Amino acid sequence: MAAAIETKQLTKSYRSRVVGTINVVDHLDLHVEEGEIFGFLGPNGAGKTTTIKMLLGIIYPTSGEGYVLGKEIGDMDVHRQISYLPERPYYYEHMTGPEILRFYGSLFGINDRAKFSSLLEKVNLHRDVTKTISQYSKGMQQRIGLAQSLINDPKLLFLDEPTGGLDPIAHREIRDLILGFRDEGRTVFISSHELSEVELICDRVAIINRGVIEQQGKLTELLKGGRIEITVDGVNEQFLRDMKINDSNVRSLPIGILLDMPEEADPNAVIDSVRGSKGRVLSVVPRRKRLEDLFVETVTNRPRSTGGDTK
Amino acid sequence: MKAIVAIAGTTVGEAIRRKVLLIILLVGLLVLFIAPGLGTLSARSETTVLRGMMLGIIQLTSAVIAIVLTVYMLPNEVERRTIYTILSKPVQRWQFLVGKYLGAIAALALMMALMGLVMVITFWLQQGVRDVSVFADLLKAPVMYFIQMSLLAAVAIFFSTFVSPLVNFFLSGGVYLLGSLFNPFFQTLQENQSTSPVAKGLATFVNMILPNFANYNVQNPIINPGQTIQNEKLYYLSAAGYGIFYIVVLLVLGILVFDRREV
Repeated sequence: MAAAIETKQLTKSYRSRVVGTINVVDHLDLHVEEGEIFGFLGPNGAGKTTTIKMLLGIIYPTSGEGYVLGKEIGDMDVHRQISYLPERPYYYEHMTGPEILRFYGSLFGINDRAKFSSLLEKVNLHRDVTKTISQYSKGMQQRIGLAQSLINDPKLLFLDEPTGGLDPIAHREIRDLILGFRDEGRTVFISSHELSEVELICDRVAIINRGVIEQQGKLTELLKGGRIEITVDGVNEQFLRDMKINDSNVRSLPIGILLDMPEEADPNAVIDSVRGSKGRVLSVVPRRKRLEDLFVETVTNRPRSTGGDTK
Repeated sequence: MKAIVAIAGTTVGEAIRRKVLLIILLVGLLVLFIAPGLGTLSARSETTVLRGMMLGIIQLTSAVIAIVLTVYMLPNEVERRTIYTILSKPVQRWQFLVGKYLGAIAALALMMALMGLVMVITFWLQQGVRDVSVFADLLKAPVMYFIQMSLLAAVAIFFSTFVSPLVNFFLSGGVYLLGSLFNPFFQTLQENQSTSPVAKGLATFVNMILPNFANYNVQNPIINPGQTIQNEKLYYLSAAGYGIFYIVVLLVLGILVFDRREV
């Protein structure tokens, strides 16, 4: 499959009088395939927004190469096929939803009232056409942002924290819209802290920390290595010693003993051993590795940056 | 072109809703209304004083509006992130800057037109003049002021590409004051035979780079009581040409800086 985004050793450095040169984005190799939802994750100051701004041609890389839809970053032809929804976007407050769409449409030379109406309907704002942006809730502002980002029928959407600060209902609405983008064949590049959301909608993710990509790949592959938790009761000391040798964590609970073991371990063998030691199996719970676990694991393995995202 | 017009249109929409600008405008309009009352305090011809005072009010109010309107224009767009949604579309930076500038001067034109209208009405009520040519003559000055303010807005837009709004406020204000009050002084210094070569060189340099805002003050009889213009049409055209030339230069310089700037 063709690459929607490809970066090779993309670097952004800033000079500081105090600490010298800081690589906010450090030799970034990113690969996003067409038609996928790609999650770009990282703690605050990791370099996410800087990377997006470089890909959009808003700031210039210090070194390295970047290609968006097969063309070098900053190419105006590419700008006709992409769109961007920034974190906490602001729109001209005196305008109504249709006026916002007319304005952004005019930047592409688009003046199609039917299209604007269908976009408003798509983001469920068609009943609020007389309201000005100042009367919009956060969720409505985010939805008008998504509507403006669809004006040019983009092949690739950059969404920076699309669900940040929204209530659960608005979360769900935005999530459904994003999933709809994939069904329409668009590529979506999401930068987010909402790991549970990302886990639900993304095909592949990259975790960036201190400007360096620490993990990149399919979620299904990155989240391999879950655990199995077996709660037992009435087992003898010899059994517990055997379990500890077996790479299992053993913890005492009020109701019994919790055996926390790797996904690869054979739970049937453990259950047989429990029975052999005259014990009882109270529960067997498989614990899938979550994105949050992977994120924390990845980020805490490397100390956090002293630098920050450019704002 | 469509992008420039769209950006200019939203800039006008934003500007005419900015409370701080409306307050400045309102104060200006209010002072214009009460100007006839203040004119009676002077010993000079009431008409001359009233005319000079009203033009002075329009000029001062317009200058404050021009600076306040433009110094925050770019920083606000960056701070509110609207610039990112615009520059991620097929919009070049120069189009963005030119659109913002044209929007600013369009808003300025609206506000100055309103002040001009109030001045004419006040003058008519006070003086009871029926002759249209008197009003046409009276309005020549605000037209020249508009070019002056467009030049001032270009100065502020240029500075806003690389300095903070507060610094820009004082820089643009300073350039305006120097260009309005001291440019004639530098010109005299430059032309005077007894001026030392160093002072002459400095005067020539300042005179060359500093826009001459005093070009547009000719209609103010209080500031330039003795000034006579031989060929009025030619003078206005050359003053307008001078202003447009400076505006283009400032915008090109602003674009060059803004194009390299990381927003």
